[in-house]
Amino acid sequence: MPETGLGRLKIVDGCDLPDAYRQVLRPGEMLFDERGRGRRLPRYFYEVDTLLTARETQLAPNFGIYEFIHTDLRESPVLRGFPKYLPCAIAILATYLSRLRDHVQTYIHIAANGGYRSPGHQLSRNASTHHWGTAVNIYRIGDDYLDTPEQIDNYAEVAREVLAGIWTRPYGHGAGFADDHLHIDLGYVTVFPRDADGETTDLPETSPA
Amino acid sequence: MLRRQIEALAKQVQCEAIAVAFHDYETDVAWSYQGHRWFHAASTIKAALLVALFDAVAQGRFDLESRVHVRNRFLSAFDGEPYRVAPERDANSDVQSAVGKSMKVRTLAYHMITTSSNLATNLLFDTIGAGAAQETLNRLKIEGVELRRGVEDEHAFAAGINNRVTALGLLDLFKEIHENRHIDATASRQMIDILSRQEFTSGIPAGIDEPVRKKARFAHKTGEISTVAHDAGLVFLPDREPYALVILTEWPADQKRRQDTVSEVSRMIYQYLTESEVEESNA
Repeated sequence: MPETGLGRLKIVDGCDLPDAYRQVLRPGEMLFDERGRGRRLPRYFYEVDTLLTARETQLAPNFGIYEFIHTDLRESPVLRGFPKYLPCAIAILATYLSRLRDHVQTYIHIAANGGYRSPGHQLSRNASTHHWGTAVNIYRIGDDYLDTPEQIDNYAEVAREVLAGIWTRPYGHGAGFADDHLHIDLGYVTVFPRDADGETTDLPETSPA
Repeated sequence: MLRRQIEALAKQVQCEAIAVAFHDYETDVAWSYQGHRWFHAASTIKAALLVALFDAVAQGRFDLESRVHVRNRFLSAFDGEPYRVAPERDANSDVQSAVGKSMKVRTLAYHMITTSSNLATNLLFDTIGAGAAQETLNRLKIEGVELRRGVEDEHAFAAGINNRVTALGLLDLFKEIHENRHIDATASRQMIDILSRQEFTSGIPAGIDEPVRKKARFAHKTGEISTVAHDAGLVFLPDREPYALVILTEWPADQKRRQDTVSEVSRMIYQYLTESEVEESNA
C-alpha cells in the first residue's frame, strides 16, 4: 500500500531554500501583529513537490494537503506553482479540523486563500496566523454556506466547544471581523521537527510587517 | 434620413432618449446621433472591463490562466461598505456555484461577457482595480466611457456614482478592439472571440434578416437595467468588411419592448449600410 501520509514528504529548513523562496516565506523572521507584538514566522516546512503529491497526501483523516494550498493570483508568483512549502504546524491544524468534522458529521470546505498563505501574499496584513499554517477560513459546512451572522456564530460556537483553545473571528465587517466565512485559528504555533537543527542566533531579527 | 427614422421611432415607442453611432469599415462611413450624450452604462461597461483586463494581462500583472478566489463580497465605491451580488439577479449560476473556490481569469471573462455575470464582473473589476481600468481607457484615448465602480453597488448608485458611456465612447472602444492600434492583435482576436459568444441576441443581431444573420458574426455586449437598454459591438457580415455599431436607449422605468427598439435601430443601420452598397453597385 503506498504511503499517503505526511511521512512521504520532505521537511526542509526554510533558511536553506533558494533566495526566491526565502524572500516570500521569510523563515524565522519577526512579524508584528495588529497590536505591535512580535511573532516569529515558522522556519520548517513540508515540501510539496507536485500537484499529484498535494492531491494524494493526507494531513489528517478527511483532509488532504491540496485543501490548504489553494491560493489565487494574489499569492507570490513563486508559490503559485510547485514546489510549495507548508509550515509543519499545518498538520496540527488539520488534526483539529478532522475532529470538528467528526463532530459535525459532514464536509468542511476551506475557501481559496483560506488555508496557508505566505507572508508575500497580497492579502497579508500584520502577522496573520495564515502565515503560520494555523488558521483556516471555512466558507461552507455540509450544505450550509457561512455567510450570515447566524451561521457563522452558530458554527463558531460549535468549533469552540469541540476544539480546546482555538480562536474564532467574530461576525462583522471590516478588519478583525468576518462576514462570509468562519475563521478558526490556533494562534502562533510553530513546529520544530524532532530531528531539526537547533535554533541559532543568526536568524533575521525583524522585517517590516 | 437615418436621423428622421430614429427620431420617429423614439417618439413612437416613447423612448426618453436614444443615441446611435456606427463606423463602417467597408465604406469608411461613420455617423452618429446624440453621440456625446451620457447614459448609464448598465452591462455595456463589461466590454470596457474586458479591454482593461487584456491590457492588465499585456502588462504582465497576471495571465488568463491565473486563478481568482470567487468571493461574493465587494466594497462600495461610495462608502466602503461591503455588499453582495444577489444570486437571483445574476444570470449565471456557474460563477455563483463556485463561491469559496477559484476560477481562471479567462473563465470569468467569458462569463462576464457571454451571460453578463455580475459576480464575474465584480471579481475582475477588483482584480484589475478601478484606477488601473480607467487608466487603460485613458491611455487608449477612449473618451466617453467612465468606469467607476462594480455592478450592483447600490450605495454608489444612490450617491450618483455610476459607470457611464456615450455612443461615441463605446464606438471608440469597439473600434480599438477591431483595429488593435494599441492592443496586441492576439488579444484583439481573443476579445472578439469572447464577445462573439454572447448569449443575449435580442438587440443588434435581431435586427438583421435571418438568412444573413445565420452567416454573420456579432461580437457585442448588451446592457439592460430598468431604465436603459443598450447594445454595442462589431457586426461581421458575409462578404464585406464589418461595422461597429452602438445603440443606447433610455426609458421610463420598466417600459416594454425596449430590446425590440434596439433591434429596430439595428435593422435601420443594417439596411442603410447594405442598401447603399446595392445602390452603389447599381450605379
